[in-house]
Amino acid sequence: MNIAVCIKRVPDSETRVKIASDGKSLDEAGVKFILNPYDEFAVEEALRRREHAGAGAVVIVALGPPAAQETIRTALAMGADRGVLLQVERIPPDGLEVARALAAELRDGGYDLILFGKLAIDDANHQVGPMVAELLGWPCVSTVAHLELEQGRGIAEREIEGGVEVVAFPLPAVLTTDKGLNEPRYPALKGIMAAKKKPLEVKPTTLGPGGLEILALTPPPERQEGRIVGEGPGAVVELVRLLREEAKVL
Amino acid sequence: MIPATHQPPLPLDRLLLQDGTPGAADRMELDVLIVGAGPAGLACAIALAQLAERGGAALNIGVLEKAAALGEHSLSGAVVHPRALRDLFPDLTDADFPFRGAVTHERVRLLTARRAIPLPTPPTMRNAGYYVASLCEIVRWLGAKAEGLGVNLFTGFPAAGLLVEGQRVRGVRTAAGGLDRDGRPLGTYMAPNDLVAPVTVLAEGTRGLLAQAYFAWQGVRAVNPQIFALGVKEIWETTHPLDAVVHTLGWPLPPSVFGGSFLYPLAPNLVALGLVVGLDYDDAALDVHAVFQGMKRHPFFRRYLEGGEMVEWGAKTIPEGGYYSVPARRSGDGVAILGDAAGFVDVPSLKGIHYAMQSGMFAARAIFAALRDGDPSAARLAEYDRLVNESFIMQDLYRTRNMRLAFTRGLARGGLAAGVMTLTGGRFPGRRIAVSPDAAIPRHPGPGAPFVPDGKLTFSKVDAVFKSGNTTRDTIPTHLVVGGDVPAEVAEFYARMCPAGVYEVAAGQLRVNAPNCIDCKATDILGPRWTAREGGSGPRYHRM
Amino acid sequence: MSDVLAVVEQRAGVLRPVSQEVVTGARRLGDALAGRVDALALAAGGVRGAEQLGVFGADRVTTLTNPGFAAYAPEGYAQAVAERARTGGYGAVLFAATALGKDLAPRVAARLGRPLAPDVTDIVVEGGAVTVVRPVYAGKALLRLRLNASPALVSLRPNVFTPAERPKAGVMETTAVDVPAGRVVVQQIKAAAVGALDVAEAPIVISGGRGLKDPANFKLLEELAAAFGGTAAVGASRAVVDAGWRPHADQVGQTGKTVSPTLYIAVGISGAIQHLAGMRTSKVIVAINKDRDAPIFKVADYGVVGDLFQIVPHLTAEIKKFRA
Repeated sequence: MNIAVCIKRVPDSETRVKIASDGKSLDEAGVKFILNPYDEFAVEEALRRREHAGAGAVVIVALGPPAAQETIRTALAMGADRGVLLQVERIPPDGLEVARALAAELRDGGYDLILFGKLAIDDANHQVGPMVAELLGWPCVSTVAHLELEQGRGIAEREIEGGVEVVAFPLPAVLTTDKGLNEPRYPALKGIMAAKKKPLEVKPTTLGPGGLEILALTPPPERQEGRIVGEGPGAVVELVRLLREEAKVL
Repeated sequence: MIPATHQPPLPLDRLLLQDGTPGAADRMELDVLIVGAGPAGLACAIALAQLAERGGAALNIGVLEKAAALGEHSLSGAVVHPRALRDLFPDLTDADFPFRGAVTHERVRLLTARRAIPLPTPPTMRNAGYYVASLCEIVRWLGAKAEGLGVNLFTGFPAAGLLVEGQRVRGVRTAAGGLDRDGRPLGTYMAPNDLVAPVTVLAEGTRGLLAQAYFAWQGVRAVNPQIFALGVKEIWETTHPLDAVVHTLGWPLPPSVFGGSFLYPLAPNLVALGLVVGLDYDDAALDVHAVFQGMKRHPFFRRYLEGGEMVEWGAKTIPEGGYYSVPARRSGDGVAILGDAAGFVDVPSLKGIHYAMQSGMFAARAIFAALRDGDPSAARLAEYDRLVNESFIMQDLYRTRNMRLAFTRGLARGGLAAGVMTLTGGRFPGRRIAVSPDAAIPRHPGPGAPFVPDGKLTFSKVDAVFKSGNTTRDTIPTHLVVGGDVPAEVAEFYARMCPAGVYEVAAGQLRVNAPNCIDCKATDILGPRWTAREGGSGPRYHRM
Repeated sequence: MSDVLAVVEQRAGVLRPVSQEVVTGARRLGDALAGRVDALALAAGGVRGAEQLGVFGADRVTTLTNPGFAAYAPEGYAQAVAERARTGGYGAVLFAATALGKDLAPRVAARLGRPLAPDVTDIVVEGGAVTVVRPVYAGKALLRLRLNASPALVSLRPNVFTPAERPKAGVMETTAVDVPAGRVVVQQIKAAAVGALDVAEAPIVISGGRGLKDPANFKLLEELAAAFGGTAAVGASRAVVDAGWRPHADQVGQTGKTVSPTLYIAVGISGAIQHLAGMRTSKVIVAINKDRDAPIFKVADYGVVGDLFQIVPHLTAEIKKFRA
């Protein structure tokens, strides 16, 4: 089974967000970058499917700056076979531009499955996977939390509001992975050693400007200090009234 | 109350394993195995790789690091003497090193509750020509250099036990990962791995787990026991620029307690601030974290911090015993012990990083020569000890050999004695001052000052641990070995001693919140023993 | 002047309430663009509740019917919506950032070759261009974007665009569409088990901390949650999870889950930074704590000081009364 996994290098979820002096981007000084946590599920799933099939390759594809090679190495250390970096200076806010570049890379790869994390924790665009599927004309199921594959067909489960959708699809397909699909492995010592020697191809890539223009990146507004409604059980009636009439949440 | 009477012994049965003991999933052979990616371990790795490159040899060097990423468990002041870096990278200049800036001005202040009295800078504390730096940044920089030279860095792999064979060190076994609270494997279970090599280098830093085990196993002793201090540190984004390296003595520490504060500029609006306190304090109710928080209310600090934001918090112990606490040998069959783990720290000048690095570079020379001749024996690796003994490392420590020790008799007498020692180049008083291990110092119940954090200038331990970036999985089994029966007064002492809120007293009983632990090792010095836990646990320091 | 298309949602032939928010947002945009608002539903037959959409600002409500549209049919929906958007000459197409919308909107965007601004919390027209605000970096920053494309494709974060009624009724129409059978087929929808509400998803979260004193006392919070009739989940602070009182899956905070429910009630939680990190994006925060100086009151919209063992049962009774 040949599987491509598209991953992204993102700031660690614990990053303290500081706005750069241009007022439009993250100040990356001192920021630690990691493999997007949702992509870990995709890498893990690909490895398990390859191991189960007993044949095939897992190819890691990333679009990002030169430093994204490290992120690819992390996935290679987990057990993927080779990597491709579509190297760009900056990732544009328009996910369609990213999807176009990825689709061009993936189109003739002979893959049975293309996996993405359901979203990247930095821009939370939640779109590149389905866009790539559309550009390739492939079937796609997003936010997959459970997956069964058998003889060229798959059944996926995805969480929707108040329930779970059970979805059938044929292969080849694009899937985006959600938490719960699996427990990603940690790279093993031998995996880390082996990763250094695995092929990683860097392809300089040029993206279109895209149709989204960043006007500003700002910190979220400070929460207004609230008020003490009262003391003791006597304040409950007033609290409920405020929740109902003022906050309108009941 | 004497802490030692309640402290469990070092769990040697877990720390020393005969090579071949079942339980490891995998076994990896290296040429040199280095435990700890700090300044000592990385300098050793880089020097080895350089020697191999020059000698046309291929050396398979692996560095194990318990932090999830490079530098995340590294914490220091720090003002760095650049000599070891210059020696390691002769082709680079000081401007190439990851320093924050040269020391331009220095101030020393004696604090009282309200005042800050200028003092002349003691000769040992003069820092002209040195650089302010973040140890995290130095470590990340060294790590990149090491990787560039082909060194294998294994981050997120703590060494949990020493693999031995006869009197020889064979390697280490890493800690298991993915266990639940009761030690049962979860879906993410990762079995321990064995890593073996002709030479294992222990560069674990302060109060090294395996270094302690090795010295205990081999009966290697120092003239004096090692003694420690606990440093608590914060990084602040400020609006008031600081132009000098500042040290203070006196308030808020009582005269009987050895310690002082530091305040260093990292950038025009970024400062490092910390308080270092000797763990031989006699007041059982002393709480270093709380004292440090209270210290920031002093107008001298307030003026810099007010309107700023605390962005990072951390804590770490420092081996302070100096010359007389350095073990008689730091090498043996298949092993060398570096840096803080060996006690190469000079307290009077507040320096350790360049000694740590230099010790790693000396070890590299000895190891390379021994491996070249296929003889990593104790006799050949003793070359490392000889190089250290004949170097500035031991000369510097010898010159100040009694200074810190004199302060075990209080600030006034210690200060006076230290002055005389400086003037006489350490010749007076000639005799060694004997000290007891910190855990053997009796503690007297003090009143304990109440501490109410305001969340702006001062912070609770819970909030502090958050700012350390600690994201330890909450459900890991405890890694702390607690003594059998802990009386309430001892539990209370632990609760105050630990800066990270690991220990709490609930209904007179000790409660252990092990995931809070940030690996400062104070607990291992005065109370429950610290052992290795799942890789990637602990703090995530960034600019410490 | 351009028109706005609001893609609304149905499940089992019944309009989903979030549709009112999409139409409300579309109306706001339509007014700014001086255009018409068309609501578009996709279904196997009629959609119960679609007729109300006029009240929220839809000038026309179109239901595209196809036998394959009973459940979400990704490819058929995408084709039908893209076709509509293309032929209708819309200036903007709005979706809800729901499970369906997050899947459908990027497909439509790719088919139209237009950018998509997802999960926005504000939408305006500036200098003739649609401009949106969307949270990024897990809510730690807000990104303001201009969409230099027509139609501008946007999905709206649920619970943000409060439905606003207008005294006006739209035109209703139903059109059968022909799309090829999709390859991706929803076979069934398994309803979530009762009580299995996850703290990360629940619209109401009631979290307990050490102030509850004993694990058994969490039943007070479970009773309060039950009073909300299945829309509330019970969470916990790190301290009580560490103590083994509650499962880790319930933990709200830095090492636990990040939640942003409509209503967050913190009971006996002092408010350590790591807890606040996990819940400060909640829409409305209520704190019940005996310590007036507890940091939790600094982020709470409404605070009640006092003994939680008296206050919580009262609150449960009041909520029950209100809902009865």
